[in-house]
Amino acid sequence: MADTDTKDQPAQIPGIITPPALDMSWARVPTERPPKPQIGAEGFTLKLADAGAYAWVPDHWPYQNDTPRGSYPSKEIGLAAPYTIYDKSEVWADNAADLYELAIREQWKPATEIAWNSIEPLPDHIEAAWDQIFSNISEQQYNSNGVLMGWLKEISYGFHEVKLYLATQVFDHARHVEAFRKRALANGGGLGVQTPGFFNRTVYAAFKFTELTVYTNIIRSSFMLALCEHGEKIARSKADRQLFELTANDLRRHMAYGIEHLRHFLLMGSLDNRRYVRTWLERGEIMMSADLKRDKPLREALILALGNTVAEGKTALKELRQAQLRKYTLALEAATYAGHADRITDALREVVENP
Amino acid sequence: MRSEILEQLKKEPGGDDLDLSWLDKPLAERGLRVSPSKRGLTLEEIATSSYGDIPDVTRNQSGRMRGAAPRSDAQSMQTLWPFKSASWSDSAMLLYEEAVQRQWSSATDIPWADLPELPQEMEFAMSQLCTFLTQVEFIAGDVPGQYAPNVSGEFFEVGLFLASQIMDEARHLDVFRKRALANGIGLLKAGPGAIGLLTAQDFTEMASTLHLVGEGFIQSMFRMGEMFAQTEVDKRMFRLAAQDESRHVAFGVMHMKHVIETQPERREEIHTYLDRMEGNLGTGSSQAGLTGGGETGEAMAILLGGGTSEAQLRDGYMKLLAIRKRQVNEYMHRLEVVGLGDRRQLMNPMMQMLLDPPKN
Repeated sequence: MADTDTKDQPAQIPGIITPPALDMSWARVPTERPPKPQIGAEGFTLKLADAGAYAWVPDHWPYQNDTPRGSYPSKEIGLAAPYTIYDKSEVWADNAADLYELAIREQWKPATEIAWNSIEPLPDHIEAAWDQIFSNISEQQYNSNGVLMGWLKEISYGFHEVKLYLATQVFDHARHVEAFRKRALANGGGLGVQTPGFFNRTVYAAFKFTELTVYTNIIRSSFMLALCEHGEKIARSKADRQLFELTANDLRRHMAYGIEHLRHFLLMGSLDNRRYVRTWLERGEIMMSADLKRDKPLREALILALGNTVAEGKTALKELRQAQLRKYTLALEAATYAGHADRITDALREVVENP
Repeated sequence: MRSEILEQLKKEPGGDDLDLSWLDKPLAERGLRVSPSKRGLTLEEIATSSYGDIPDVTRNQSGRMRGAAPRSDAQSMQTLWPFKSASWSDSAMLLYEEAVQRQWSSATDIPWADLPELPQEMEFAMSQLCTFLTQVEFIAGDVPGQYAPNVSGEFFEVGLFLASQIMDEARHLDVFRKRALANGIGLLKAGPGAIGLLTAQDFTEMASTLHLVGEGFIQSMFRMGEMFAQTEVDKRMFRLAAQDESRHVAFGVMHMKHVIETQPERREEIHTYLDRMEGNLGTGSSQAGLTGGGETGEAMAILLGGGTSEAQLRDGYMKLLAIRKRQVNEYMHRLEVVGLGDRRQLMNPMMQMLLDPPKN
């Protein structure tokens, strides 16, 4: 898979008559000889592999190409890559390598691991309400999926743990898109109405990677996780319970990365970072509120799905919104962005108090 | 929806502010009851009725997924590709589902504990090969990823497939890095790398350069992993990676086939991308250089020949030539499948000389 520069290299294979003389200068480069790993119960993990100098992640990655961390850089550096992120503080999270391995262990298969046959017919309006919720989740996850994939080419090669972790996150999003779409079409229903898209657009328009993380891994994931945890409790079939449970588990990893990255960004980056975060949070909250306020189908679907009566549904919706807000502010506390519960924007407070 | 139910809901305590028009007159098709087949509930099963109508052109510039009901006030992106032909591959659904089913773990599905120590020069050669693969594998994740934000929800299956490819490439970077670090040698010398693939300005250019050529060549090499892998551990690693690469190549081949069938006027343009990849432009940048020479080529020759003696090296280079021959012939086969059989005459002479005669 290389579009590689062949200048100054020994003779190429097509057409060679005499093999080039043995060189092996590549075996004498001064890279570190690592210890032999002791393989544990979790197998040969990334953390275990990256021992000694291989574990050292510089604050600033110096190579503008795809030189792997710990290798001996080539003199022929070729094209400079389009990467824009070379500072560790812009992407790093200490838990990225562990979350990557965990994500692989916890991958699930919507086509075959969900008990699709357990879904019983529901009254039409209840099925339609759930389908509206499933459609909303599917659309949001497609948005996170596409935008995040686009950011991979911004992140330089030295932070490979982050790139690998993010690959698991986009693959999780992909499975959420398909799983909830499948559920919406499986039980006599269909897709619902699209979202107003304020938050989707905000995600698209993120200028900085940490800004994107604040939107997708902190705000959106907090709200989505609280919904899934609620959904788990009131799901009407084994399939629905599995969907919410498995998605919630994935979202906890996404939040764990988001929290740890935000913490790193705040503690290790510039002093201005805290002010940037405040702006991103305000923007994210306002756009999330705009969606929630204008999304009449989603509001009404939640009322019908969460309660046995309209009044019960309204109470449950308020509880859900409060749980979402709580999850969000606790995530910020964990990221060392303390006291935000008292500084929530009026717009968000309004949709939580009067959903 | 029965109107009496809606009326009843509105009359309930607290129901006076309910609108329920989305229930009363749904704008998306309802009444589907899709059941799982033997392969489970797959994307192909749910691409049914109006949900299976994949438009050739769409004006949907919002986040709306195919089949969902539109809103007149939905936010617009104006960055989504309106044409199906821009990214579509008929195999996307099938390959995505296969990818989900065939995920593997580099940590636990490779029997690392059984990895024997090789003679030192062989161990160094394997680490050098794996350094090269660590370097280039995730470029094949960065490259398709850059186009994902442009793939509309109307063609979401493409977006899902790209996510599966990115996941696979992450695992490849990871497994080859681990192999380089597993037996006491570590990473060795980086090469010029594969950054050039990121210059693709268009999805079809990307499928030509990355899938048809780059990944195709790597797939052929991995499929011959039995020849250069010295241990069962290494054989398994290459076998699993080859399986993943086959999906990526198949996606690209079917995309190219779709483009050639629906936009035959792009044929010459596509040849120019292949000219570049084959090294026909005289830039010194060519796929033909990959693994055929330099440090990676020498490392492979040592592995293939079983050592560094003159006879072993000669044998190794002959086997490397056999791999190269297979790479070129499998590339030609892909070109024929997509409808670019005339490439046989246009191919870089250094590659052309390795082609088997045409079958008829």
